[in-house]
Amino acid sequence: MSAPKVSIRQLGICYAGAPAVRDVDLDIPKNAITAVIGPAGSGKTSILRTINLLSVDVDRAEVKGQIRVDDRDILAGGVDRVDLRRRVGMVFATPQPLPGSVYDNLVYGPRLAGTRRRADLDALVESSLRAAELWDEVKDRLRRSAFLLSGGQQQRLCIARTLALGPEVVLLDEPCSGLDPISTFKIEEMMRSLRDRFTWVLVTNNTKQAARVSQRTAFVLLGQMIEQGPTGQLFTAPKDPRTGDYVEGRFG
Amino acid sequence: MNARAQRWLAPRRAQALARFVLWSLMAVAIGILILILAFVLGRGLRHVTWTFLTAMPLDSGRAGGVLPIVVGTLEVTALGVAAATPLGVGTAIYLVEYTREGRLTRIIRFGAECLAGVPSIIFGLFGFVLFVLTLGLGWSILAAGLTLAFMTLPTLIRTSEEALRAVPARYLDVSLSLGATKWQSIRKVVLPAAFPGILTGLILGIGRAIGETAAVIFTAGSSLPHRIPRSLSEGTRTLSVHFYQLAREGISADNAYATAAVLVLAISLINLGAYVTLNRFMRRYR
Repeated sequence: MSAPKVSIRQLGICYAGAPAVRDVDLDIPKNAITAVIGPAGSGKTSILRTINLLSVDVDRAEVKGQIRVDDRDILAGGVDRVDLRRRVGMVFATPQPLPGSVYDNLVYGPRLAGTRRRADLDALVESSLRAAELWDEVKDRLRRSAFLLSGGQQQRLCIARTLALGPEVVLLDEPCSGLDPISTFKIEEMMRSLRDRFTWVLVTNNTKQAARVSQRTAFVLLGQMIEQGPTGQLFTAPKDPRTGDYVEGRFG
Repeated sequence: MNARAQRWLAPRRAQALARFVLWSLMAVAIGILILILAFVLGRGLRHVTWTFLTAMPLDSGRAGGVLPIVVGTLEVTALGVAAATPLGVGTAIYLVEYTREGRLTRIIRFGAECLAGVPSIIFGLFGFVLFVLTLGLGWSILAAGLTLAFMTLPTLIRTSEEALRAVPARYLDVSLSLGATKWQSIRKVVLPAAFPGILTGLILGIGRAIGETAAVIFTAGSSLPHRIPRSLSEGTRTLSVHFYQLAREGISADNAYATAAVLVLAISLINLGAYVTLNRFMRRYR
C-alpha cells in the first residue's frame, strides 16, 4: 500500500471526560473505499466525525493522538476548519437537505467558497448530480424544494452536495441506514463508479455492505481497533476471533 | 362500587366525555373572545368614520379625530420593537449557540422571566426616571419606545430562544461540513429556519407594546397632541391612553369606544400582515 491519504495514530476521544475511543490506529488509502464496521456505540461515528473535526467543534469532544491528512496533523491545532471541511467532505446518516431548492442545496458550499458565476455553478450542479446518479431524476425540478424528493433521492442529493465541494476525502456515516434496498444499491453503485476519484471512508452497520463495496475494512469494538486489513482477508481469514464472530453475525 | 366506577369510566365513555369537555372549554374560550370583540366593535365601529381617522382631535377629544394619536401609537410601538428585536434575538442567539448550558444561562433566563412578570407601570416608572429625567429626553416618543423595548424584551428573548432551539441540530452539522463558518451557518441556515418562531415572538411583543397604557403615560405623557408628531422627541398620547382619558373624564363615550375599535382593528391588521408575511416566507423557503 502506498502512503495513506489519512493516517490515524493513537487516537483517543473523550466526551466530558468519558472515553469513547482509545488508541485507535487506522490507515486510509487514497482512491479506495475503506469501511469501518462494528456494533452500535463502538465509536465508529466518533472516529469519522473527528477526521473533519466536527466532533471537536460541535460535540465538544476532547481528542488526543494524531490524524494526518496528507502529512498535516489536523489535531495539532491551528487548522483552518473551513479549508479542512472542503477537502474532507461528509455525508450523514439521515438525509438532511437544507431548507431551499435542490439547486440551493448543491451551490451552498461552492458559493461560500467563492464561486459566483452562474455558469460555473450550473456546471457544478450538473456534474455533481451526474456523479451521484441523480441528474436524470431531478434535472427538471432543480428549483423545487429538496424536501419533495424521496428519502433515497435526498441522500443522493446530500452526496452530490458534498461532491460539489470538490473534496479529496468523503466521509460517509451510515449513508444507507434509513434507505430501502434499491436506494442502497444505487448509492453503492455510485461509490463503486467514483472509487478512483476520491478517498472514501464508509462507516456502516451493515457488514455485507462493507464486504460488497470496500477494499479495506477496519473492525472497531468498544472504542478500540480490533483489526484492519484488505476486506477479503478480514472477512474470510480474520486474525482476531472477535472479528470472525462479528462478521458472521454471532454477536453485535 | 368499584365495578360501577369502572363501568362508568369505560374507555369509550371516557373518550366521549373528554371530547365533550374539551370542546366546551374551547367554546367558552372562543366565546369570551368573540364577546369582547363584539362589545368593543359593536359600540365603537359605527363612530369610526373617515373623518375620525384623518382629523385632528378637537375640544379634548369630544370632536374631531385621532390621526396624531394613531401615528404616535404606531411610532412608539415600531420604535419599541425595532429597538428590542436586535437585543432580544441577539441575546437568544448567544444563549443557544454560543454558551454552554450553565449557571450563567440559568441566571440570564431567570432574570428574563422575572422581568416578564414585572407590571408595566414599574417599567413606566423606570423609563420615566432613566429616559425622561436622567437622560433628559423628556416626555417623548423616543422615551416611550425605549421603555416599551425593555418591556417586550423578555418575551422576545424567550420566544426567540425556543425558536432557535427547535431548529434541528443536524442543520448546523450539515452547514459546517459544507465549509461554512459557525456564523455563516447561523445566518444562512439556523436563523431562517427559526424565523417563523421569532416572528411569533415579535407579534406577541407588538401586541403587548401597542396596547400599553401605564408605561407610556409615564414616558410619552398624556397630553393631547394637536398635530402629527414631527420628531421623536415630541410627546404623544397613545390610543389606549386616549381611550382611558375619554372614558375616565367622561369626555365622550362614543369617541372612547371608537378609539378602542381603532386600536383593536390596528392590532388585527398588524397580526394579519405578520401571518401573510409568514406564509409567503414559508412558501418560498420550503
